[in-house]
Amino acid sequence: MVAHTGSARSARAARRLNARPLNQPRPALVEAHADGTPRRINRRQVAVLREEWRVVDRWWTEEPVARRYFDVVLETGENAVVYHDGAWFTQRA
Amino acid sequence: MVHAAGLTGRRPGYVELHAHSAYSFLDGASLPEELAARAAELGYDAFALTDHDGVSGSLEFAHAANHFGVRPITGAEVTVETGHGPAHVTLLCESQRGYANLCRVLTHVHAGTRPPGRESREPLPAATTLETLERHAEGLVCLSGCARHGLAVVDANAAARLARAFAGAFYVELQRPYARGDARRNATLAELAATLRVPTVATGDVHAHHPRRLRLQDALVAIRCRTSLDGCERERRGNHESVLLDPATTAERLPPDAVARTREVADRCAFDLTQELGYRYPDFSDGADPADARLRRLCEQRFAERYRPSNAAARARLDEELALIGRLGLAGFFLLHWEVLELARECALEVRGPGSPRHALPPGRGRGSSVGSVVCYLTGLSHVDPVEAGLSLGRFINDEMAAVPDVDLDFPRDIREKLIVRVTERYGREHAALVASFATYRSRGAIRDVGKALGLPAAELERLARVTDGWDATRVAEELERVPGRHDGPRWAAFRELTREIAGLPRHISQHPGGMVVSSRPLVDLVPVQPAAMAGRQICQWDKDSCGDAGFLKIDLLGLGMLSAVEDCVDRIARERGETIDLSRVPLDDPAVYAEIQAADTVGVFQIESRAQMQSLLRTRPENLDDLTVQVALVRPGPIQGKAVHPYIEHRQRRREDPAFEPPVEHESLREALRDTLGVVVFQDQVLDVAMASAGFSIGEAEGLRRAMSRKRSEEAIEAYRPRFVEGCRANAIDEQTANAIYDKLVGFAGFGFPKSHAAAFALLAYQSAWLRRTYPAEFLCALLNAQPMGFYPPASLVRDAQRRGVEVLPPHVNRSEAACSLEEGAVRIGLGFVQSVGEADAEAVAGGQPYTDLGDLARRAATRSGVLEALVSAGACDEWGPRRQLLWRLGVTARGRPAGDGNRQLALPLEPTAEVPELPEQTEWERMLADYRHTSVSVGVHPLELLRPHLAASVLTTVELAGAPHGARVELAGLAVARQRPATANGVVFMLLEDEHGQANLIVAPPVYERHRGLVRGEPLLLAAGRLERRDRNVNLVVDRLESLGPLARRAASEAEVTRALPKAHHFGHR
Repeated sequence: MVAHTGSARSARAARRLNARPLNQPRPALVEAHADGTPRRINRRQVAVLREEWRVVDRWWTEEPVARRYFDVVLETGENAVVYHDGAWFTQRA
Repeated sequence: MVHAAGLTGRRPGYVELHAHSAYSFLDGASLPEELAARAAELGYDAFALTDHDGVSGSLEFAHAANHFGVRPITGAEVTVETGHGPAHVTLLCESQRGYANLCRVLTHVHAGTRPPGRESREPLPAATTLETLERHAEGLVCLSGCARHGLAVVDANAAARLARAFAGAFYVELQRPYARGDARRNATLAELAATLRVPTVATGDVHAHHPRRLRLQDALVAIRCRTSLDGCERERRGNHESVLLDPATTAERLPPDAVARTREVADRCAFDLTQELGYRYPDFSDGADPADARLRRLCEQRFAERYRPSNAAARARLDEELALIGRLGLAGFFLLHWEVLELARECALEVRGPGSPRHALPPGRGRGSSVGSVVCYLTGLSHVDPVEAGLSLGRFINDEMAAVPDVDLDFPRDIREKLIVRVTERYGREHAALVASFATYRSRGAIRDVGKALGLPAAELERLARVTDGWDATRVAEELERVPGRHDGPRWAAFRELTREIAGLPRHISQHPGGMVVSSRPLVDLVPVQPAAMAGRQICQWDKDSCGDAGFLKIDLLGLGMLSAVEDCVDRIARERGETIDLSRVPLDDPAVYAEIQAADTVGVFQIESRAQMQSLLRTRPENLDDLTVQVALVRPGPIQGKAVHPYIEHRQRRREDPAFEPPVEHESLREALRDTLGVVVFQDQVLDVAMASAGFSIGEAEGLRRAMSRKRSEEAIEAYRPRFVEGCRANAIDEQTANAIYDKLVGFAGFGFPKSHAAAFALLAYQSAWLRRTYPAEFLCALLNAQPMGFYPPASLVRDAQRRGVEVLPPHVNRSEAACSLEEGAVRIGLGFVQSVGEADAEAVAGGQPYTDLGDLARRAATRSGVLEALVSAGACDEWGPRRQLLWRLGVTARGRPAGDGNRQLALPLEPTAEVPELPEQTEWERMLADYRHTSVSVGVHPLELLRPHLAASVLTTVELAGAPHGARVELAGLAVARQRPATANGVVFMLLEDEHGQANLIVAPPVYERHRGLVRGEPLLLAAGRLERRDRNVNLVVDRLESLGPLARRAASEAEVTRALPKAHHFGHR
């Protein structure tokens, strides 16, 4: 499933409904290894890289999606999912 | 051959064991050759093709892979039903036994897809059972299936069962599709493997050979699910990782031990599909007598009936052929065909009924090169005496042939329908099947399917589909530029890209028109067999090329509309006039028949009725059957592309003027080979003759060249013969330039020509149909109408042509018409079945209840579906009971019988409707004519141009006036478009036939005019054409520079908006 893209159109729709989109991706500060896997997320060290998956979708629309997702455990013991789509975002898993 | 592994110098660790080609039908975006070539490029030394539930692409893949130096592994991903729903397993062949088992499993997979009684509907999902897999485990390696639907993922207990059945040959498949949950799934699968004590193996689940096909793969999934890309998110893979990667990259993604095991599995799968099939056709070697002796005895018996004992030429020919057949070991082949023909005789007897006047007709006729064989003539496989007709044998069989020859047999459609099922029954359902054919993507299919997947507006797609030009989907983007409107944005951009990529990919499997394969070893051990969309028929999963590559004997049982028409005609003549016609005794030199042929009065005549044939007939003026034989073969793409037509016509005219005229040839060595065709190549056999005469080819080499020409994807193969040809010519003192020119001429001819023997067979049928048309015009028209669809002209034009020649044609009549068209006191009565929306069963039911006293009686008793009676009234079949509008009103308020459930009918009470019929206006002549066309596709009354004529300017000529106009005159002509032809060989020129109340005229529409008036040319039935009259010899053409629609004028004259839609559509031929 393609998670919420947070597009301008959906933001407008949300405003109309006076609602807040669920699971909106948030920009993240990520330092990555040379192979593109995250090393630090929002200044916290990645302890374990649990899984990587990829999403390429909606290429036929104005809002194509091409993302590398990473499911990680941070040094704090916290789980996090980040993806890279030109920029880094975090999104609840 | 390219040695792929040799490029890297070492064997790569990873072998791909799970890949889909486009023969997974809408779940694979690359052709087998593309996968093979890319695998070689990436350094694979072995590669498995595992399409969904089939091996349709496997032989093609195996040959391509061998060519590129990659060892092909044969397999399939098989759907199996489990307690938790359908799941997939990947089966790979270790041995011939394993392959046979795979074929049997795949046959079982499809066995229940078309249950009796619903064969023509959408097939049910294909699946086999665990028991079937357990029974056929020998010789197969079983992998546990893909990441999403694999057996180990769907039902671990079922996987455990198969692990026991495939002891030592069961592997749990690990994949890394980069989907969320890969890690957990692979961990679970590894645990399962440990529990079952079976190894794991890595696979890639490839669906595209190159990244550029990945978007197409997404679109194919949408097409398969009959939805848009937006609507199939769950079914799509969600990313673009299912592409073929190099072995090292794939290996990095998966556990090393599972990767290493791919080599182990590949090494045990040593079966080579190209070498170890073990096919044999039933060759009668198991009989008491040797096959040679049986064939000789059969031929000798018939020889005594057909030839005088003193006929030394025939005797020598028979002895020579039998000796050759003996050397080639082909006696069984001929006996098999003879036996099929005997089955056809039985079928013919059943279809025709005892005492039928059709009994004198053979059940079928040979076509193709087999007509050149005296053994075929004597065994009934051909009806042309090759000795008398001077036909050569070399193209059919020769000492150097490597494959079995082709015998094509034509049958009337009704006999063929029965025969196909009978052959299957005779040799057994495990031994005989029809050859498959694959519907591939061309422009229209690509536009509709890709457009729908991308969610583009249906109306826009339809507009584009209507104006699209060719078969070639790679040109859709170009054509889109010419359609008005904005087509920008990412969806249209993707549309342009994907229509190009999808071009030529197979969409689904269907049946070949009549090719059957028969095997002495069970066919289901050699190729999977599945039910066809027609009751009693089954198809094998290979097309004619793959069957040819496998060395299968293919018997072509073809349905020929004209044979059906001729049979029906002979039958009617006997019934109406009490005359029994034996067509084999019809005089072949009737001057009156040739006079009509020379005047191109040939509408409805087999093979020589098209516009191009008519124009040619006026110049070649055939005088006998030999001339007709050339004529039939002349107007074909081969001679046209080989630039043979104009020289032939010119030489023929010069020969007519000067009988001593000797046509020029490129080199003296060709003179004898091309003598009968006045110095040009018209027949396929002449390709052989020329190659032998000029380049010294042996008969086998020459036949190899001809075969290369007749195969698809053959350019490379054809060019491979060129150096040898030029070299051979040099030895015969033909310079290189001339040699290349001769070769180019042969290549231009390519495969699209007839062998002389085939042309001779067709010429005879052309003459016979011309003779019937002239001698019994009403019976002939009746038979032609009943054999529709066939031929060049729509039924409306056949009717008009017959009317012009004095045949009376009567409209459908509810009390006088039969279900089919029939004869009534010398006139042709249109059958009830000709009325649109009245099916065969309805027509039979109505005809069976005749006579009806009035509309109420008809409504009460006729056991038909709803809408049928309305259609009959609208078509004028009930005109004797009153005006159509009043009848329709009354029908609406009349009580009707109802089906009683057990096939009977509960009659309605004979109550007369109480309501008065209101005053309704009478139909005008326009309205009646349009209703006739709309409901029966023919109108036996007034021609639309007759009604339109008073509204046209006086300067608009009729076809009669046009025939008398001088060369170069500017003229205007109005008419109904009857046929439209855009031959691939005519550089975009469109030829049209326009018909008015007097006859037909030829239009030539050059490409710029076509581009300007494309919509009118392609869709408008009523046209006003303006241009310059061109007279060449006896041909009259209107070279069009302006076209106008007469639709608006007709709508005003008729006071009806639906004129254009009601009129019959022109038949279209050639490129769109």
